[in-house]
Amino acid sequence: MQSTLYPLTIFSWVLLLLSTLSNTQGQAASWLGGPWPEWVTLVTQAAFAAGMFMHQRELPEPLRGNDFVGLLRRLVLGPGLLATLCVGLHLLERVIQYQLPTNDRTLFALIYTINLGLFVFFLAKTNYSWRSLVLFRSSTRIQREWVWFEILLGATLLFRLFDWVPPHPIDYIVIGTLGAFGVYLSGNQQWVAYLNRRQKWEAVLLQVAMLLSMAVFVSYFLRIAQDPKLVAPAPQHAFLLLTVFFSTFYALMGLLVTLFNLPTAGVFEQKREEILSLQRLTQLIQKGQSEDEIHRMLLDSAVQTVDADAAWIMLDNEEQRPQVAQSFQIAPEQMAQVYALLQEYNLHLIEYLNNDLPNSNGFRSLALPYGSLIVMPLRSAKRRYGAIYMLKKGRQGFDRENLSILQTFASQTVLSIENLRLMNVSLENQRVQEELKIASLVQDSLIPKNLPIDSWFAISSYAESAKEVGGDFYDFLHLPGRRLAILIGDVSGKGVTAAFHVAQMKGIFHALMQENPLARSERDKFPLPSKFMAQANHALARCLEKSAFITASLYIIDYENGGFMFARAGHCHTLYYHSIKEEVSYFQTAGLGLGIIRNESYEKHIKNQFYDYNPGDVMVIYTDGIVEARNAAQDEYGEERLQQMLEQTYFLDADAIKEQILTDLAEFSHGQPMHDDQTLLVVKFKAAQPGSHN
Amino acid sequence: MKITQHSSATTLTLSLDGELDASSSVLLDTELAKPETLQFQKVLIDCQKLNYISSAGLGVFISHLQQFQDAGVKLVFFNMQDKVHNVFEILGLDALMTIVPSEAEATAV
Repeated sequence: MQSTLYPLTIFSWVLLLLSTLSNTQGQAASWLGGPWPEWVTLVTQAAFAAGMFMHQRELPEPLRGNDFVGLLRRLVLGPGLLATLCVGLHLLERVIQYQLPTNDRTLFALIYTINLGLFVFFLAKTNYSWRSLVLFRSSTRIQREWVWFEILLGATLLFRLFDWVPPHPIDYIVIGTLGAFGVYLSGNQQWVAYLNRRQKWEAVLLQVAMLLSMAVFVSYFLRIAQDPKLVAPAPQHAFLLLTVFFSTFYALMGLLVTLFNLPTAGVFEQKREEILSLQRLTQLIQKGQSEDEIHRMLLDSAVQTVDADAAWIMLDNEEQRPQVAQSFQIAPEQMAQVYALLQEYNLHLIEYLNNDLPNSNGFRSLALPYGSLIVMPLRSAKRRYGAIYMLKKGRQGFDRENLSILQTFASQTVLSIENLRLMNVSLENQRVQEELKIASLVQDSLIPKNLPIDSWFAISSYAESAKEVGGDFYDFLHLPGRRLAILIGDVSGKGVTAAFHVAQMKGIFHALMQENPLARSERDKFPLPSKFMAQANHALARCLEKSAFITASLYIIDYENGGFMFARAGHCHTLYYHSIKEEVSYFQTAGLGLGIIRNESYEKHIKNQFYDYNPGDVMVIYTDGIVEARNAAQDEYGEERLQQMLEQTYFLDADAIKEQILTDLAEFSHGQPMHDDQTLLVVKFKAAQPGSHN
Repeated sequence: MKITQHSSATTLTLSLDGELDASSSVLLDTELAKPETLQFQKVLIDCQKLNYISSAGLGVFISHLQQFQDAGVKLVFFNMQDKVHNVFEILGLDALMTIVPSEAEATAV
């Protein structure tokens, strides 16, 4: 439809032009075979106006989003040029007329028709721009009314065709009614509310310009109407009159509404600013910025919104005095003075509004250059974070509105801060989890994967980490001459630090258990267990944190001599089955943990113990995670129970003994969480195996 | 873990109630780390209601041991339950710290 409408409109204008020219009685008229009948002019005129309006009606919506000023600007710049063109053509015509000797009307008619076309185009453009404004956020009722308005306006085009030129009573009634309809529709000026102060000024100027260009056209046509040279019949009076009236009236009304809205623009802008501030504040939550930034945001928004002259945020500090987090145009001593005064009156914890500081005793004595004060606490249901303080120079500076908007700001801020803290906690947890994963990988790599194998003993081992990484460790080392060193221990503390110390202990073990080439006797080639402990203690003294310590036991088993020696540095007692005596007992030896005393005197606290073993003897080495495992009644598994288990199982092989103990332990602590790492080694000595000598 | 304290001119007594584990040992550490603690001649620890002590708990005493010795403050434990005493003993702490059965003996030390 759009594609045919435009050519038809142009075509009807060309016809109108030709028809007008045919009436000029000049050369063009004779060339056209004129004069043509009057109805041709009238019909083409009506067709052109209708076509132009319908074409504009179908064009895309001229209003883009809320860009009202843009709409007005586009409207004014186009028609502004059209009006200039119109005046320019008119002057050109005058100039040329004077030059011409004849009194030819052709040029006059041509310019007139062009200007008529421009005017109709301008009116159509204006009309449909106003439609966008009238229908902006309007109800369906208004939309329906607008359609009726268009239909009725269109109907007035027919007036001229029925030759109602002499003023007819119905003419007046219809035009009057439609004019009133236009006035009624001009009341729809909601768009003005969406402008800020600057835009309102722009809108006012644009509407004035709009009215001016309308005036140019109208004055042109009013003058021409009286001109004796005018050959064409008067244009579509009713229709053009009504559209001009509506376009002008709507612009005028808009101008007035905008003007009257100017004084209140500040209030609207303030409300807008409040909403925007609140939005900005809310957005900070998602951005996960720092608390400091949130405080600054709060202060900025609050200062801007209530238009304060000075402000600051004070945060509660659990141990010390509250601290100023952010401040705006105020000296530290003034903040301290105000706070001290509020505290004195016990007002520093509550919402407080004082609009007449010079008349309050305490404040008068401070001689502050301020007249009004608001204190708004920052608190959630659970706790209080601090408060925001706002000062204004004048008295009666704050109102209830300010108080309520500050309340909203405060609660939003507290929400942000709490969210931020929660997020940080969860991030921290995630980091710790990650670290623990690494630590347990490290720890896992520190536990020997291959147990030592020889024909004269059997070893079975079990090691289980608690959920958190603990500090249990054990290690083996074959020494020359069919000797075996076994180290077991437990680092106090958990996590990465513990894993680190485990690695350190392992390093110390491997470093100290090296053959000393300068040793004079076979015995001195390797350190005695007590010497090892003293050296390890010395090595650890500087790198172990003050409250940390390590317990360890070192056993050096010598097959050639059928005996072993060991030292216990604060570690759990060794459980032992003596096959000759047929009894199970703990080796009761003294021995201080590593890192408890960090000087040379440590050596006095550690002893070597020697024992000759017999085939069939069983040694059970473990960490406190075994004996301190708890049952539902919170009783500990205990040394006694462990001893009883060995009494029942000593005759089994090492693996079976271990399994029996673990089964019993699992039954005992069934359903209870594992609090500490558990390590269990069972060593069973065997009879001499000839031929397996290495 | 609950720590109650009462003091005379020369003696500070801390009564431990509950389990001294990693989290509660922080409380104890705060108490012992106070500068005024070193003003006393004796610090008595009443362990009657101490049901359990973890290595973190032991670590707190160990870390303050040297400081107390240097300041000439005697650290005395009393009323210790057997299983807690066992933990001190295994670690070898009984040789370093004064552990006595009753409050009367602790006061007399």
